[in-house]
Amino acid sequence: MTPRLPHRVIVAALSIALVAMPALAHKLREKGVAVTVADSSLTVTPTRDWNRLGQSPGKHAETWTLDGEQLDDVTFYAGIAPGEPLVKERSKKRDPLPKFTATTQIVEIPELLEGTYRTYKSIGAFTLVSTDPVKFLGHDGVLFTYDYTDEDLLTRRGEARATIVDGKLYMITFDAPRLYYFDRFLGDARALSGSATL
Amino acid sequence: MTAMKTTAIRWAVIVGTIAAAITPIAARATDPVLPPPYAGVYQPQGVDEIGLWHDDDDDEHALAASPLVIRDEKLTAYVKRVLCDTVGDDRCAPIRIYIIREPAFNASMSPNGTMRVLSGLFLRVRNDSEFGAVLGHEFGHFESRHTLAAFKGRRSGTDLLAWTALLASVAPSYGMARSYDDLRYSVYGSIFRHGRDQEREADRLGIAYLNHSHFRPQSASVMWHTVMAEAEASARAKGLKKPNFKTIAFTASHPPEAERAHYLAALAAPDDAGRADGADRYRAALAPWMPVFLDDQIKLNDFGGSDYLIENLAETGWTAPLWLARGDLYRTRGAQRDYANAATFYANAIDLDPTLAPAFRGLGLTLVKTGRTTEGQDALRRYLALSPTAPGAKLVRMMVPQGTNP
Amino acid sequence: MTRALRSFVIATGIAALVAAPTTAQERSATKQGFDLPANSAKRILVFRPSVRVGAQSTGGMFEPNADWTDKATRNIAASLTKLQSTLGNTVVTAPEAYGDDAQTLQEHMALFAAVSDAVIQYQFFKGNRLPTKKRDNKADVFDWSLGTGVASLPGAKDADYGLFIYNRDAYGSTGRKVLQVLAALGPGLAVKSGEHLGYAGLVDLRTGDLLWLNADAAMGGDVRDAEGSEKRVRQLLEDFPGSTIRATADQPAADPPVAAPRPDTVAAPR
Repeated sequence: MTPRLPHRVIVAALSIALVAMPALAHKLREKGVAVTVADSSLTVTPTRDWNRLGQSPGKHAETWTLDGEQLDDVTFYAGIAPGEPLVKERSKKRDPLPKFTATTQIVEIPELLEGTYRTYKSIGAFTLVSTDPVKFLGHDGVLFTYDYTDEDLLTRRGEARATIVDGKLYMITFDAPRLYYFDRFLGDARALSGSATL
Repeated sequence: MTAMKTTAIRWAVIVGTIAAAITPIAARATDPVLPPPYAGVYQPQGVDEIGLWHDDDDDEHALAASPLVIRDEKLTAYVKRVLCDTVGDDRCAPIRIYIIREPAFNASMSPNGTMRVLSGLFLRVRNDSEFGAVLGHEFGHFESRHTLAAFKGRRSGTDLLAWTALLASVAPSYGMARSYDDLRYSVYGSIFRHGRDQEREADRLGIAYLNHSHFRPQSASVMWHTVMAEAEASARAKGLKKPNFKTIAFTASHPPEAERAHYLAALAAPDDAGRADGADRYRAALAPWMPVFLDDQIKLNDFGGSDYLIENLAETGWTAPLWLARGDLYRTRGAQRDYANAATFYANAIDLDPTLAPAFRGLGLTLVKTGRTTEGQDALRRYLALSPTAPGAKLVRMMVPQGTNP
Repeated sequence: MTRALRSFVIATGIAALVAAPTTAQERSATKQGFDLPANSAKRILVFRPSVRVGAQSTGGMFEPNADWTDKATRNIAASLTKLQSTLGNTVVTAPEAYGDDAQTLQEHMALFAAVSDAVIQYQFFKGNRLPTKKRDNKADVFDWSLGTGVASLPGAKDADYGLFIYNRDAYGSTGRKVLQVLAALGPGLAVKSGEHLGYAGLVDLRTGDLLWLNADAAMGGDVRDAEGSEKRVRQLLEDFPGSTIRATADQPAADPPVAAPRPDTVAAPR
């Protein structure tokens, strides 16, 4: 997940001519080359070339994209420990995010993502569509799908796989506009998820 | 010719109201305010106002097709009815109401007669009178053309700070989705921050409408107290010294609470205190949506504020959805001490409504998390019996040995 | 230091570290292999252009001016029709949409905005390009789409291409011009007096493919009068596939249709 910059903000940014710093450069993730993600031992092998965004949503998270996170967004969450939120909080005190806990059940993981998105993006339109058991990273896990409407008024669909290993949360999400982009790249996103090993 | 004469009358009333606002409150305590005479459908005048209306019409066109609008005819008709009961049928006739699925407390009126009600507002009022107080207040801004005056006011003066704020809002750093001030709401149209004098004026007009309606005008004062108390509860739970009223769209730049509660109470016609406040009608109208709005609020991770709101709504009587929401709130905060409370709340919900499946789910999960596995599994079985095909039922089934077959 | 002031200092500091580009704010691209010859009798459906014109106060506030916006909308529409008809391609305004259709149309508009933003952020401008898009640039590939849903938009059945136009003009006030001078004395942060932004995109209504996109953050032409609007439309439609439209009317229109190679353009060989 990355925050969606409203359209007019991007437009305003162009007119004020500010540029992203070089340290935030995006990296290529090549087809067929196994790599670790999110500063962890979680390893994926892309089946096509992907781009890794220069800026990470959090300490244990990393976002890949093909066309830009506003159009297709695969985010890896790896080794979220009890007491930690999924992404970096804007302010721990004023705007806290829901936390993963030592007693979080697998069936509660979709609610954790929902609470994180609703709180972070300040949105009211989020629907959990389906929740099913699945094997992920060799463990019992959950496969769930959802719809939400962000600040740019574009409705997006999401599919996620998650599990808990040694008391830590691992999850891979794929978010894209429900118009065209979600269906178009779901296969590629699933291939990434399917290649994941710990 | 008629338009100019109308405007002259209108300005006279507004000037009069502002002049009255400056006189000490005590002298006016016995003097309930009258609303200005209704002057017919208003047309914008002057370059700025026409420009604002034009932008507004464009914004309304976009709003009507927005994915965030709640398109429930019954709910919308109910909101319109409360507005009309508050300000009068003649005034409210040209107003269009849009309810937006956004869990924040705010309502606004655009210069062209569009009223936006954010869904969070429904949790902060408990009866028709309190609801009418908020709508009447917003209508007061509209009737006094505050948006236009505020727009003109903001444009002048040194704007360097405004400019740096704009810069801050476009700096390319992660996590700046929160825009500065009320720019965040600009996607819904122009919701302006009004100055204190204008807030006072809108309050006075709002009370005037209430006095002349069949509602209980004392509810206005009660409503503001609720809003402030929620902010304090939220801040307390976060360990903050005091609430930041600037971050609450509805309270930023409002007069201090004590002053406001005082003059709202003082202006309310005392004979009207005995009127019914419309709590039953409000609850009935909101029944289909209340569980949804409660859920939206709980999931914002504001423990103190959410807990306060639930208890406030429960003052007119606890319901199963209220207990369920409270159970979810405590369960998802998930500190060890929260689980005991959560279990109690879910049990209370079940007492009031033994068919409320989510309460069994919540109870079951809570018991399992505190090591009371057998009892937890029993509750989960009852959940599966009530909702065998709910999303997540398959996962719950895996938690329960010899679970109920679909 | 107040929070706002601190952000200002940080922002200017960032800008000082990286040379703020005042060039390269305009880019256009065409889908590889796409060609739209003149007089091809194609029908182009124009969706309600988003046009906003106003003044920009010192603080950057946009002061809407309905008179100007109305004039500009009419002028832009007229210029569009005039310029397109010289190609022998018909311009049709999309019919008004209601109810579900209106929501679908709006969702497509929102998607067009998101795609344009992604193109600009991640393919056009230096310093932020995605590696795969950098590669596309080198290979002259421009591959973006809105999806086949566009075929069901109102009016799409009877047209071949859809033209999406977004335009916003804020003419700088005196105060803003003063601020511009002050800021220039500082760490070189470019402050625009006035804002003249335009995006124009051409979409294949059968496939949803983005055939052409022109993004310009520094447009010319005063859209409040007919001449300025025509100049603006020329700029927006500059390098429109198959056209001989040039940014200024006095440039020779007799240039051959093959686009001369420009360092910042991804153009299809014709």
